[in-house]
Amino acid sequence: MVRQVLRRLFQLLLTAWGIITLLFLLTRTLPDDQQLLSRFTDTTTGTTASGEQVRQAQQARLQRLGLAEPVFYASRATVPIDDEQLLISRWHWNGTHNQYHHWLRDVVHGNLGRSYRTGEPVAGLLGSALLITLPLSGLAALFIVVFSLLLGLLLASRPHTGWVAMGLYTLDSMPLFVVALLLLLLLANPDFLTLFPTYGLGLDNEAATSLPLILTAPAYAVLPVASLVLTGLAEPTLQLAAALRHELQFFYILTARAKGLSSGRVLRRHAFRNALLPILTLYTELLPNLLAGSVVVELIFALPGLGRLLADAAAARDYPVLVGGVAMVVLTRQFSLLLADWLYQLADPRIRTTG
Amino acid sequence: MKSFLSGLAAFLLCGVGLTACTTPSAGPPAVRIRWAQDPQTLEPLTATSSQAVEVINLRHCSLLAGDYEHGRFAPWLAESLPVISRRNSFTLLTYTLRREATWDNGQPVLARDVAFTLKVMNCPRLPTEYSRTQYGVILDIELDAANPRRFTLVCKGSSQNVIIASGDYLILSEHSLDPEAALRAVPLPLLRADTAAALRRYPSLLNLANRYRSIPPEKQPGCGPYQLTAWAKNQYLRLQRKPNWWGSKLNKPPRWLQAQAEVLDYRIIPDNATALLALRRGDIDLYPEPPAQDFNRLRHSADSTKLLFSVANSYDVTMVGFNTQRPALKDPLTRRALSMLFDIPGLISATQPGLAYRSVGLINPHDKPAYNDSLPLLVFAPQRALALLSQAGWQQHPDKTWWRNKIQLVLNIIYKAGAADHEAIATQLRTTARQLGVLIKLRPQESTLLRRQMQSGNMDMYVHTLNGTPYAYNFFSIMHSRGIGMINYPRFQNAESDHLIEAITAEPNPLRQASLLRRFQVLLQQESPVAVLYFARHRLIASRRLGTVQAISARPGYDATQLQLASARQ
Repeated sequence: MVRQVLRRLFQLLLTAWGIITLLFLLTRTLPDDQQLLSRFTDTTTGTTASGEQVRQAQQARLQRLGLAEPVFYASRATVPIDDEQLLISRWHWNGTHNQYHHWLRDVVHGNLGRSYRTGEPVAGLLGSALLITLPLSGLAALFIVVFSLLLGLLLASRPHTGWVAMGLYTLDSMPLFVVALLLLLLLANPDFLTLFPTYGLGLDNEAATSLPLILTAPAYAVLPVASLVLTGLAEPTLQLAAALRHELQFFYILTARAKGLSSGRVLRRHAFRNALLPILTLYTELLPNLLAGSVVVELIFALPGLGRLLADAAAARDYPVLVGGVAMVVLTRQFSLLLADWLYQLADPRIRTTG
Repeated sequence: MKSFLSGLAAFLLCGVGLTACTTPSAGPPAVRIRWAQDPQTLEPLTATSSQAVEVINLRHCSLLAGDYEHGRFAPWLAESLPVISRRNSFTLLTYTLRREATWDNGQPVLARDVAFTLKVMNCPRLPTEYSRTQYGVILDIELDAANPRRFTLVCKGSSQNVIIASGDYLILSEHSLDPEAALRAVPLPLLRADTAAALRRYPSLLNLANRYRSIPPEKQPGCGPYQLTAWAKNQYLRLQRKPNWWGSKLNKPPRWLQAQAEVLDYRIIPDNATALLALRRGDIDLYPEPPAQDFNRLRHSADSTKLLFSVANSYDVTMVGFNTQRPALKDPLTRRALSMLFDIPGLISATQPGLAYRSVGLINPHDKPAYNDSLPLLVFAPQRALALLSQAGWQQHPDKTWWRNKIQLVLNIIYKAGAADHEAIATQLRTTARQLGVLIKLRPQESTLLRRQMQSGNMDMYVHTLNGTPYAYNFFSIMHSRGIGMINYPRFQNAESDHLIEAITAEPNPLRQASLLRRFQVLLQQESPVAVLYFARHRLIASRRLGTVQAISARPGYDATQLQLASARQ
C-alpha cells in the first residue's frame, strides 16, 4: 500500500515537474523587452534616449535579472567556420550556467524567485493571495458539495422537480462574470437592493467601523461565494441525480424496497453510495477549478486573491510570479486526482489499482 | 441537514445585518479615490504605473514641477528656475533649494541630498537602467561651499529638454539611506563612466546598494506633503498629510506645494461596473476617467443631482498610423486617400460623445500660438479618396479591387484588443474601404504584443492613443528618423521633418518655436504618416462630499493635492 502511494506520488510530481518546466521554458523564450521600453517611450518630456541607449539599458536589465544567461542546458547557436568565413548553426552545451538550472536549484531550496515588478519574494505574494482565495474557494466548494447532494437527492426522489433542473441548466449556461454582475446589480445596487457591500473585504473601512474583521468579512464574502456556487452547482447536481435514477432501476433496489425500507432510506443507504462514484472526480476537481475560475470573481468584487495576482502577472510579463502561481494550480490539480483515486477505493472497495 | 440550512440562513442574515453596520455613518475625513489597479511598487527607480508615479509625487519632491495651468515647468523644491551659464561646451544650471524644505524628521533638504540622488541613479547593483539613460545629460554636480542649499549641475546640451531633465527626478534623503555618507567620496563622473572601476575603488558601494535594497520604498523618507500610513496590496493605499508640512509655511504657496486633503485614500477596484456602483453608493468620492458611455449616462440620470461632473481638454490624441515603409503605403497620396475614409464626427459621437474634439494634427487646438488653424480638418470623402488613389497610380480592376505594380491594395490594421473605441475606428474603416474595393483586415492584439508589432513595423496600419503632456513638445521619439524601431511607429523618415523636429526641440523662444510647430503641422498633413482623429477630454465623476472638483489637462486628469472634502472647506 505504502509502495503504491509512493509510486503514485512520484508520478504526480513528475507530471507536475514536466508541466512547470515546459511553462518555464516557454515564458523565458518570450522576449520581455517592452516594460523598460515603454518607460522610455512614455516619457514625453525631458531628453530622448536613442535606440542604441535603450538597447544598452535593456541589456543591463537582463543582466540584473539574470536573463542574459542561456535558458537551458543546451541551446542552438550560430558559430563561424574560420576557414571559409561561413556561419553554421550548431547545438551548444551551456553546462550548469543556465537560467533553468539556477531556477530549479532555487525551487528545490524553497525559493520561487522574486517578482520582476515589485522585487518581492514570489512565495510571499502567493501566500498572501491564497489567504483570500483559499477561504473563498473552499467555502464555495463546501456549499457546492452540500447543495448538490441535497438537490441531487431531491431531483432523483421527486418526480415533479423539472423546474429545479431547468433552473440549474439555465445557471449552467451562464458565464461566471454574468452571474457575478447580475448578483452585484441586484443585491448591491442603490436602484434595487443594497443588501451587500459592493467590493473588497471591508479592510479599507477600518477607520469607520469598530467591528472586528471576523464579523464584517462574511458580508463581503456572500456575493463572491454565491457567484461561484451558482455557476458550479449544476453539473454535480444533475450528474448525481442521473446516477441515482440509474441506480434505482437495479434489482438490489427492488430487494431493498421488498424488505420494507422507505423510499428515502433506499435512496440514501443503498443507491447513494453507488451513484456517488461517477461524481467523485467532479467533487475532487472543484477546488482546482474554483482556484482557476476565481480570477473573474476577484476582478469583479475587487478581491486581492490568486486569480487576480496571476492575471496581473501575465499581463505584465512577470514570469516568476506566473510560473509560481501556475505551479501551485498544477500541484493542486494533481493532488485532487490523487484524492479522487483514494475516494474511489473508499467508496467501492472492489476498486483496487493493480501494481 | 435542517441545522445546516438554518446555519446558512443565519450566515446570510448576518451578512445583510453587518453590511448596515459596516456602512460608515458619519464618514471618515478621507478623500476616497478609485484606482483600477494597484501601484505594485513605489520604488522610485523602477516604478512605471501612473498610480505609482502619483503616490511618489505626493511623498517626494523634484526640483521642478509641472504647472499644467500654464503648460510649463516651475520651481518645486528649487527656489526658482535654474540660472543658466556656459562653460566650454557644457551648460551649467545653478539651483538653490527652498529654505523651508525639510524631510519627514525635520532635517533640511540640502544640496548634498541632490548629489546623493544623482549618484544613486548611477549606482551599480541597483535597478538604474532607466535613470542612467534618461538623466545621462547630467554629467556632474558641484556643491557650493558657501551655501549648503546651492549647487550647479554640469550638463551636456542646451535645449529646453535638458533643463527639464535636470530637475525632473525626485530627491532622496542622504542621511536616511546613506548615514555613513559612503557615496560622498565617489565622484559622479566616475559612476557614470565606469561602474566597474568605481566598484574597485569604492567597495563600500556594494554595502550602499544592499542597504538601499533592504529599505522598502514605502518606508523611505520623503520631503513631499504626504506620508504613507497604510497599503494593502490590491486593496487600498492611504496617505496622511504631514502635521508640519513645510509647504504650508510658505507665503502664498503655489498649487503644487499645497496639500488640501488631510487623508487621501485610494481604493483599488478593477471593474468599471463595480466602481460605478461604489460611487453611487457613496463608498468612493472620486471616479477618474470613467468610460465615456457611463459618464454621459450618469450625467443625464437622476443621480446627476447627487454627483459632480467635470471635464478638461487632455493631450491624449487618438490616431491611425500608416507604415510608411510598406510598398503600398510609401507614397503620401495613398495615405491621404485612406485618411479620407474616416468618418471622424461619426466616430466621436459613437464612442466619445461630447468628450472629444478634433484637430488638424498632433498639436492640441487649445494651444493657440502653436496650433495651425489655417489647415483644413480631415474630411470624410470616399469619392475624393478614389480620385487620390487613381492619382497615386492605383488602378481599379473590374472586380473593384485596386492594383499597382501587381500589388493589390490589401491592408491590415492592428489595435488593442478590448479597446472599444479603437475597434470602432478599425471597423468603420473596413466598412467604408470595402465599399470602394479596398480590403482591410482587422488584427486585434494583446497590448504588449501590439506594442512589439508596432515597434518592429510588422503591420500596415495601427490605431493608437498617444498620451501627451501640456509641458513641452518633443517629437523626437514619435516622428524623427532616430525613433524608428522605438515609437516612431509609422517609421516616418523625412529629412525636412527631422530638421524641423531638431529645431523645435532646440528653440528656446516660444514664439519662434510656435512658428516652427505650425510649419511642422503643414508638413505632417502633406506627408500624412498618421491620420489624427481626435483629442479626448479627461472626465471625472465625484460625490458631493467633495463640494467642487475640477478635471485637469495633465494625467491622471485630477490634481490630488487640490482635492478636499466640502466639510473641510467650511
